Amino acid sequence: MDEFQADDETTFVVEEVGKLIKESVEATIGGNAYQHNRVNQWTTNVVEQCLSQLSKLGKPFKYIVTCVIMQKNGAGLQTANACFWDNTTDGSCAVRWENKSMYCIVTVFGLAI
Amino acid sequence: MSDLVKDRALKREKKRLSDAGHRPKAWPKDSLSTVSNVEEPLHHDDTRLPTENTYQLGPYKRHSVPVITEILKDVLTCYLQHETYEAEWSRQMTKTLCEVIRARVKELMIPRYKTVVVVNIGQLSGQGMQISSRCLWDATNDTFATYSFKNSSLFGLAIVYAVYVE
Repeated sequence: MDEFQADDETTFVVEEVGKLIKESVEATIGGNAYQHNRVNQWTTNVVEQCLSQLSKLGKPFKYIVTCVIMQKNGAGLQTANACFWDNTTDGSCAVRWENKSMYCIVTVFGLAI
Repeated sequence: MSDLVKDRALKREKKRLSDAGHRPKAWPKDSLSTVSNVEEPLHHDDTRLPTENTYQLGPYKRHSVPVITEILKDVLTCYLQHETYEAEWSRQMTKTLCEVIRARVKELMIPRYKTVVVVNIGQLSGQGMQISSRCLWDATNDTFATYSFKNSSLFGLAIVYAVYVE
């Protein structure tokens, strides 16, 4: 049981992080339509909010947060990532969010110290 | 002990999938979100050997950003120069590019660094787009490099993050 709880503190928990990302995205751009002059501020806000919530988790991790906001006009976008890390402790979580006028993709990578 | 861990991980996964359909009432109904992560469950290796202290305070060898930028420029230009955007092809190409870039960065043989490579390939059709990223890390040891490529029908963006392991 002790070993189990220690694992939760030192491994990347996807559900917790996924929930956190969704809340940050909803709080920043939920209910807005794509606006070119505001998108810079939105991506910054989403990323900063995610990062501050992640640091509040207090886990011994370094985090990388990436956010893509794209206007919907039928264009295609592919994203992939490859990582060289420690499989037992590190992990990533990607959240795809959309509304009528835009897509938002947020990826969080957590690397154990 | 490792079976218990695996069972709990599987139960969490099932719960997550069954919860995916529910959304708190407070969220607006016109948005949709999905969460994904890597397919393989974390495997907890019981036979990990305890490691000794090395008393090393910092990296002896660091990544050089211009060298990695050059690698990214080389790989992206070589693979994407004469291509046009197609959904199936670009799906395979992003994965291939990720693996090629990761292999080339590993060849630099810089010890104690973890690498994360992100590749985006998108179609150019006049849409607006913003990509940004921020990191919570040790700025003295960790770094990143990016390169973006564009031709008449597509754009390719590659980002490499190098993170030191103490």
